[in-house]
Amino acid sequence: MSVLLMQLAGPLQSWGASSRFARRSTESAPTKSGVIGLLAAAQGRQRSDDIGDLTELRFGVRVDQRGTLLRDFHTAHRFVSGEALPVSERFYLADAVFVAAVEGEPELIDELHRALRDPVFMPYLGRRSCPPARPVDLGVHHERTLEQALEREQWRAARWYQRRHRNDARIDLEVLLEAAAEDGPVDNLRDQPISFDPLHRQYALRGVRRGSVKVSNPAVRPDHDPTSVLGGA
Amino acid sequence: MHLTRFRFNTARVGARRLLSSPQTLHAAVMSSFAEILPAGDDGPRVLWRIDRTSRAETYLYVVSPAKPDLTHLVEQAGWPETGRWQTYDYEPFLSRLNVGDRWAFRLTANPVHTARRTDQEPTKLTAHVGAYHQLRWLLQRQENAGFKVVEKPSERRLLPEGDQHELIVSDRRQLAFKKTGQRQPVTLVTVTYDGRLEVTDPDALRRTLTRGLGRAKAYGCGLMTLAGA
Repeated sequence: MSVLLMQLAGPLQSWGASSRFARRSTESAPTKSGVIGLLAAAQGRQRSDDIGDLTELRFGVRVDQRGTLLRDFHTAHRFVSGEALPVSERFYLADAVFVAAVEGEPELIDELHRALRDPVFMPYLGRRSCPPARPVDLGVHHERTLEQALEREQWRAARWYQRRHRNDARIDLEVLLEAAAEDGPVDNLRDQPISFDPLHRQYALRGVRRGSVKVSNPAVRPDHDPTSVLGGA
Repeated sequence: MHLTRFRFNTARVGARRLLSSPQTLHAAVMSSFAEILPAGDDGPRVLWRIDRTSRAETYLYVVSPAKPDLTHLVEQAGWPETGRWQTYDYEPFLSRLNVGDRWAFRLTANPVHTARRTDQEPTKLTAHVGAYHQLRWLLQRQENAGFKVVEKPSERRLLPEGDQHELIVSDRRQLAFKKTGQRQPVTLVTVTYDGRLEVTDPDALRRTLTRGLGRAKAYGCGLMTLAGA
C-alpha cells in the first residue's frame, strides 16, 4: 500500500458533512468527501463521473493547527433581477492547518500524485471561496501505512504557532482515521462519497477512529544550563 | 574567572524594578564587587545576562574576574531565607576547551551594523531587526570569536536558504529605558541565539566567553555560555 500526503492550509477552510438548507456548518477537520472531491477535480473528472475507485481509498487526517471557528452572515442577490436569495449562515475554520492522507494501490496513488502536481480543476479547501495558501502536495510514501505516514510527517503548523508552543519539545496532535471493521464501536460521519452528481448527491456513513501522534517541535527553545558543565560551587 | 547564577523572585517589586531597566540592573551587578574594577583596557570584564525560561523562572548569569557578592540582589529581588546565589570557578572549564569540541551555546547580543542612506551622510549605528540579518550577524563573527556554528544535515533543513545552521534566534526585544540625567531614552535591540558550535580556536573562544561578543555589554548583551551538546 502507498500513501499520498497533502497539506490543507489556508486563511479559510470549510468542510461540511451534515448541513442542509441555510445553515452551512463545518466539521473541525477535513472530510473524506471533500478531499476525494479535491483529488477527483485535480484529475479532471466531471461531477457525474464514476468515483468508485477513489472512494475505496483509506482516509486519515492529522490536525496540525486547530484554527478558530468563523461564522459568516451570508447574503446574495441574483445578478439580473436583484432578487434576494435566502440569507444563510456559513461557518469556516480560520487559520487551520491539516495533513490529510489517502492510502491505496501504488498505481492509483502515483496517478493522483501526478494529478495533484498538474491539476485540471484547481484545488480548494472544502468550498470554492477557500483557496489553499501553500502547495497541497506533500509527496508519496510507498511501503508505509496511513498511520506511519501521518506519524512521521513533520509538524506543519505555522511558525508563529510553533513558537507559541516553544516550551514543548514534543506536541500531541489529534488524528482521525478511517475505521476498519475490527476497531469496534467508533464515531460515524456521513462523508463517504458515493456520487457527486449535482442531481443526486449521495453520501454513506463512515467510521472514524480518533487517536493521537507525537511530533517534534522545530521551534522548541532548548534547555540551557551552563552550570551543568562546571564543577562544584 | 567566575560564573554566577542568581534566580529572581519575580513576584517581588524589587525584581520587577531591576528587570525593567538594564541600566538599573547594570548598576546592581557592578555594585556586587567590593574592589573597584579596572576600566577601559582589553582585559576580562564583568558580563551579565538574563535568561527567561518562563515568567517564574528568570535567572541572572554573571561572568566576572572577581567573586561577586549578590547579597543586595537577594534582599531586593530574591529569597533571603531560602535562596541565595551560586558562584562557580570558571577557569577549569575554560582551560578544558579543545579544538573540535562541540557545545550547545546561548548568547544574548545586540546585533548592529553601521549604515547611511547617502554617501554624504555620516554613518550611523543601526540595529539589525530581521531574523535573517540577525543570524548573519553572528555567522560573520564566528571565525574571529573562535568557533563555528554546526551545520544542519540537509534533510533537517526547513528552508532552502537561511536555515543551514543549528542556530535559532528567539526573544527579539526592542528595549527603551531612561538613563539618569538624560532626556532621550536609550534604545536597544537584543536577541538571544541558541545553537550548537564547534570549537576552532580555544584561545579566541576563551576571550569571547570572558570579554563578550558585540556591543552593549553593560546592558546584558555579549555574554555567551556553553552547555552540554
